[in-house]
Amino acid sequence: MADTQIAPEPGTRAGAGPGGPRAARRKGLSERALARVFVAPSVLLMALVALFPVIWAIVISLFLYTRRQQTGFGGLENYTDALTSGRFWDSVWFTFVFTVSSVTFEFLIGLGFALLMNQAFRGRGITRAAILVPWVIPTVIAAQMWFFMFNVTPGFINNLLGLGNFNWLGQPGWPIFAVVFADVWKTAPFVALLLLAGLQTIPGDVYESARVDNAGMFQRFWFITMPLLKPAILVALLFRTVDALRVYDLPAVMTQGAFGTESLAILVREFVVRTPNPGFGAALSTLTFILVLGIGMIFVTLLGRDLVIGTEGEE
Amino acid sequence: MVWAIGGSEAQVGGVHQTVAEMWSEANPDNPIRIEILPEAADEQREQQALDLQAEAGGFDVLGVDVIWTGEYSENEWLESLEDIRGDIEAVTLPGPFETGIWGGELWAAPYNSNAGFLYYRTDLIDTPPTTWEELCQMAEEAGGAEGIAGFVGQGAQYEGFVVNWLEYYWGLGGELYNEDQSEVLFDVDLATQATEFMADAVNGCYAPGFNTAMEEEARNEFQGGNAVFMRNWPYAYSLIQEDTGSPANESFDIAPLPTFTGQGTISALGGFNNAVSAFSNNTEAAKEFVLWAATDPEVQSTLATEASLPPTMASVYDDLADDPVMSLLGEVLSEAKPRPPAPQWNEISVTMQRALYPAYNGEGDPRSAAEEVLAFLEGTVGN
Repeated sequence: MADTQIAPEPGTRAGAGPGGPRAARRKGLSERALARVFVAPSVLLMALVALFPVIWAIVISLFLYTRRQQTGFGGLENYTDALTSGRFWDSVWFTFVFTVSSVTFEFLIGLGFALLMNQAFRGRGITRAAILVPWVIPTVIAAQMWFFMFNVTPGFINNLLGLGNFNWLGQPGWPIFAVVFADVWKTAPFVALLLLAGLQTIPGDVYESARVDNAGMFQRFWFITMPLLKPAILVALLFRTVDALRVYDLPAVMTQGAFGTESLAILVREFVVRTPNPGFGAALSTLTFILVLGIGMIFVTLLGRDLVIGTEGEE
Repeated sequence: MVWAIGGSEAQVGGVHQTVAEMWSEANPDNPIRIEILPEAADEQREQQALDLQAEAGGFDVLGVDVIWTGEYSENEWLESLEDIRGDIEAVTLPGPFETGIWGGELWAAPYNSNAGFLYYRTDLIDTPPTTWEELCQMAEEAGGAEGIAGFVGQGAQYEGFVVNWLEYYWGLGGELYNEDQSEVLFDVDLATQATEFMADAVNGCYAPGFNTAMEEEARNEFQGGNAVFMRNWPYAYSLIQEDTGSPANESFDIAPLPTFTGQGTISALGGFNNAVSAFSNNTEAAKEFVLWAATDPEVQSTLATEASLPPTMASVYDDLADDPVMSLLGEVLSEAKPRPPAPQWNEISVTMQRALYPAYNGEGDPRSAAEEVLAFLEGTVGN
């Protein structure tokens, strides 16, 4: 950034020199260059805030530690250790299963809510507000609440469903279900909100002309709503997927990572705080970063292409 | 001076605040103030580590969990307390004193201790059991007749589970290390036995939800009248006693935890010690403070009377012999065993949790889990 700021200045001075004011205006900063100068400070700030920690983590991940004491340079040793550890792959697997299942259900339920809220009916305002309540509750509190709901004691869900002492959180397989369930409850409203915003940009006359052409309800949904909603769907899926890949609070509070519910974020935290090994922890967080970035990029590419196509279609 | 200590007693109105005021009144030229650390032990450790790692010297006195001594001293974060060792050792219970030692040197002055109790319902049980098998049998019989659960404890995958497991393992006569932790004494057969006992109890005397319970879940069940027995720390006593609406309120008592042999009692030792930061600018005064907090009878009895925190000073237990909690503590603490305060304790604990928790919940073989723990322990010595 230092270059960006300094680079245009000589041009200005040189222009102001021999050619006088008129030449200066002609040779001076173009609008585009001026914009770059103005934007530069915020770009620098963002790089400092967002990029520096990432680079610093990569640097740390190349060193070996015994607990908090640095013991030497290890090259990629932390990475090979991570990639050959069963614990890492277990948490990748859980994070993956969690992401795919929670995002799928959140999308389906969110879409249903959005379509419902987009209809004109009495009490629509209250419905919209009520559906958003889970999203407003802080995740840790929601996690603690769902722990109480699922846990054998006091056993709210078991009482409700007459399941006796079914141990949702204390036997293989079911804790994953409970965590996904809690996440879907918490975040489906958010997806609904994003999709509702998308639905409201679809003009009503498109549907009217479809009706005139005798298109049925299913056809209107499939050939009008879905294609026009696609950008909003991609945005919602991007947000949710990236967010789900970083899941920490729900399994941390509900299961402490027991029964194969240790997510990548929990694993990173384990090696940064609980059994400190900053090098290994940084390697794990870098791997997580690469994973999340990669998946995010796929979405952004899809989204970018779709937005371009979308604008062309409108014109 | 700044005293970095956490937990509910560090809050305004807590007993640590009272102790700090007592010191500041007596030493107006060297007053001490509490820097309140978070509730959870891991987070307290992280806050202290941030200051110590940066050698910032923001904290003079550190409230150190009994299992952190080795880690802190190996990191060279603490001042040695060898020159005041004699005064402290003379008045302190041996178990709590040992938790301040690492590498043969005293690094942390004992402050408050902790040990596990067996809580039981006097309306259902006449004499508390002396062996775990007996406990399970009584729990199933009395619980079955009453339609309530048998035994609650700390069975979720966290440090408290390791403590509960160790109490079984120690109760079988097992050990982790020899005295100076140069040799591993871990016995795979006894460890397998301890895990198998738990695995059987999951389908037997353990309350449903034992394997997701921590201290508070266990207390709620027992206090709510839903369990015959409970393993918990002394703090639960006054809470149940004050809760007049509780079915257990009028009819519960405490006893030492059983063993497998029927001989004596075994409990894991908890609590906090006070250490002096190596980066303090006021080392001498800080040392005086930790010595005072460990050896002043008034401070130590205040811990017991104001907060039901078990003191570490032996004579306080004689003075408070009328108090049922303190008199039982006096008995239990002399038999209590510290978890090894090794620098690797957190790694050891996590390894034990990851191996033994699935094994007792039917997701792994108890023997191979024990072998996994043994292999890890062996990697911690001799290098």
